[in-house]
Amino acid sequence: MIYWLGVATLVGIYLIAVMGVSILCGFTGMFSLGHAGFMAIGAYTSALLTKNFGIPIFAGIIGGMILAAIAGALLCYPTLKLRDDYFIIVTLGIGEAIKLIILNAVNLTGGARGLSDIPKGSSFISVWAIVIITFIVLRSFINSKHGRNCIALREEELAAQSVGINPIKYKMVAMVISCLLCGCAGGFLAHYMHYLQPNMFSMVKSDELIIMVILGGQGSLTGTVLAGLLLLPLPELLRFGSAEQWRMVFYGLLVVIVILFRPAGLMGMREFTFKDIKNVAKWFRSEYSKKTTRNKV
Amino acid sequence: MFIQQFVNGISVGSVYALMAVGYALIYSLLNFTNFAHGISVTIGAFAAFFFLTYAMQNLLSGIIMGVIAAALLAAFIQLVAYRPLLKRNSKRIFLMIIGLGVSVIGDNLIIIAFSGRFRIFPVNFSSESIKIFGANIGVVDIIIFVVSMIALLIVELIIRKTRLGLAIRGASFSLDTTSLMGVNTYKLILTIFLIAGSLAGIAGALLGAKYTTYPSLGTFYTNKAFICAVFGGLGSLPGAMIGALILGVSESMISAYVSTGLRDLFSYFILIVILLVRPSGLMGKSSENKA
Amino acid sequence: MDNYDVECALEICDVCKHFGGIIATDHINIMARSNTIFGIIGPNGAGKTTLFNLITGIYKPTSGDILLYGKSLVGKLPYEIACEGVARTFQNIRLFNDLTVYENLHIAYQKSITYTIFDGILKTKKCKEQEAKCAEISEQMLKSVGLWELKDQLARNLPYGLQRKLEIARALITNPKVMLLDEPAAGMNEEESEQLSGIIKDIRNNNDITIIVIDHHMDVIMDVCDEITVINFGKQLVTGSPYDIQNNSEVIDAYLGVGD
Repeated sequence: MIYWLGVATLVGIYLIAVMGVSILCGFTGMFSLGHAGFMAIGAYTSALLTKNFGIPIFAGIIGGMILAAIAGALLCYPTLKLRDDYFIIVTLGIGEAIKLIILNAVNLTGGARGLSDIPKGSSFISVWAIVIITFIVLRSFINSKHGRNCIALREEELAAQSVGINPIKYKMVAMVISCLLCGCAGGFLAHYMHYLQPNMFSMVKSDELIIMVILGGQGSLTGTVLAGLLLLPLPELLRFGSAEQWRMVFYGLLVVIVILFRPAGLMGMREFTFKDIKNVAKWFRSEYSKKTTRNKV
Repeated sequence: MFIQQFVNGISVGSVYALMAVGYALIYSLLNFTNFAHGISVTIGAFAAFFFLTYAMQNLLSGIIMGVIAAALLAAFIQLVAYRPLLKRNSKRIFLMIIGLGVSVIGDNLIIIAFSGRFRIFPVNFSSESIKIFGANIGVVDIIIFVVSMIALLIVELIIRKTRLGLAIRGASFSLDTTSLMGVNTYKLILTIFLIAGSLAGIAGALLGAKYTTYPSLGTFYTNKAFICAVFGGLGSLPGAMIGALILGVSESMISAYVSTGLRDLFSYFILIVILLVRPSGLMGKSSENKA
Repeated sequence: MDNYDVECALEICDVCKHFGGIIATDHINIMARSNTIFGIIGPNGAGKTTLFNLITGIYKPTSGDILLYGKSLVGKLPYEIACEGVARTFQNIRLFNDLTVYENLHIAYQKSITYTIFDGILKTKKCKEQEAKCAEISEQMLKSVGLWELKDQLARNLPYGLQRKLEIARALITNPKVMLLDEPAAGMNEEESEQLSGIIKDIRNNNDITIIVIDHHMDVIMDVCDEITVINFGKQLVTGSPYDIQNNSEVIDAYLGVGD
């Protein structure tokens, strides 16, 4: 039971990051290969603040979020005007650079040996409360003018500008939101694991975040959450020799198949609603009644 | 010391150039970044390693094996992943995502097949050296430089002097127009992937000879090569070569005189600075978005 | 309203644009009077779309000035110019393809929505009121251009003619002072382009708006425009009423490819 609670907590932590990346990649159309780096900033900031200065955990996490957002905004500002290839490679560079800085700042972060004895504090309830709040806030954001402007930029940047949408501003908004949430997830991760190591935030982690968004549907928050719920528990469920590699192969295959056959992802641009649940239930019931009538005959 | 580091930098730089030119070739034609380039490099290194270990201890034959394996892999990826997308004219971003997916699959399959171990080529060149102007120059560095330059020269000759090259140059201005002129663009794209894959295979085999062979070799070095390609101007072949040599030499200098740990950080820092100061790179064409 | 002293909505003063050694537009002068329809015609590659890209800030003029009601637009970014009140359509339609017809208009209305991100997240009263207004205006606009029945269709699935219509509606909903239409009749048959002329005239009559149209469909241009200028190889040939243009020998030469 405690084990499953732990798995669920970890899934919740990564869901926060995945939702952040969804706003940037799915809704604004800017693909980042470096968001694990912003998770690392959040994680190390919160860990160091709480460990060295004894400030409360929630304040540490907020500190981590703010630092991640500032770093993201400053680093990505110059590339927002450029084509998407450049944004991808710059985020990749930033992600790797953050990891390298942490590796080299041995006195502060413990380098490759890692940082241990981080105060505990990420409970199942606190994590999932944040997941739910994040989901609700992001949903309202997407349905507001500001979210729609981000979507417009993804669809057709020139046309978006022609109706008066400031591309830099809204790309920046998406960037800051995603960095805030990745920083938040990183903070929770630090206080859940009690232990941090630069390798926890490698490029593979960034790839995973973006893969969830692609599979869930670019432009569907519920789709992304669904993909996250399906895929995030896998590393905990599969624990054998090269399970980690097979899992990544599986993810990669899913991405290839999705892009080839259903580029819009699991949910496309639709959101999953209560009506869908009802429809599924109705479908099940009708199938069931068909079967029972058939049996009677 | 300085000359030694300089030569080392030139040799690393010329390997970067092999990979960067692969990026530039594909970019100049199709306007997208091939994120699956790294696994061709890794496969090239492994093919050379296994050939040298189990068949014949001859580096040149090892390189040729690497080239064959890497080129076939690149062509396979092109056929399976990219071609269907190119056929339905899908968004550029999807091409990059599928490349990412393919590289995730490839990297992990390689780990599963060959384990994450670091392997050393059975032919040990790294210790041999000759004295030139009082500096010890590694034989392996000379081999790398010569082989890379020959390979790049051949590619340059193909592009400048042959009918195929003419088609490639035409297509880099406009793929659609070239297809209207009667060129089979799918065949052309496949050829480009074969050439880029071959260069990646050479790069992989040479990296294996200089350092060690391991599964994430390709990803690590192609990231650097991509920086070179951006540095030189995405899509420009001479730009990619010059960018590669500059990055190779400066990395070598940084690790010799500052710190090895800061070398990679420096490369990523360079990338960000270039994009800030001159996003079109040294020799890139700036493209204004046409309405 | 036969007042010919009305103020000038859009003024293009001596604008040149060079791309490297190529001169795309050469000393163009245009004065589009308020509440009129101004036409720009010329053969392909004459520099008409370049002119639109200069007005909307996608390109910066090499020299010269562009004034909107006396205020210079040069040096402003495309979105700033849109906010000043210049809306446009594109020669090769640029809709938000994967969104519905309704969403296309919903997004375009954003200029008139003033609530902040926090209003949006907290769904404050201000947010709800403005959203309701936005929905109402989008509905009105769709009904007035006859796309209301298709509101839930994806923009990419619309037939070509309706996509052009949607693009015009999207420009119009931003409540512009000047609207630039880039080849609105391209690819339309005779009946459709006749209908289009009607729509363009209606828009001018029902709104406080100045419209500038580029096209090589002479019938549309001659039908709707109050004043026309002819451009060829980046140079301005003549400016005048449709009647003047039709009887101008220089124009006939340019179109028939005679001349020098």
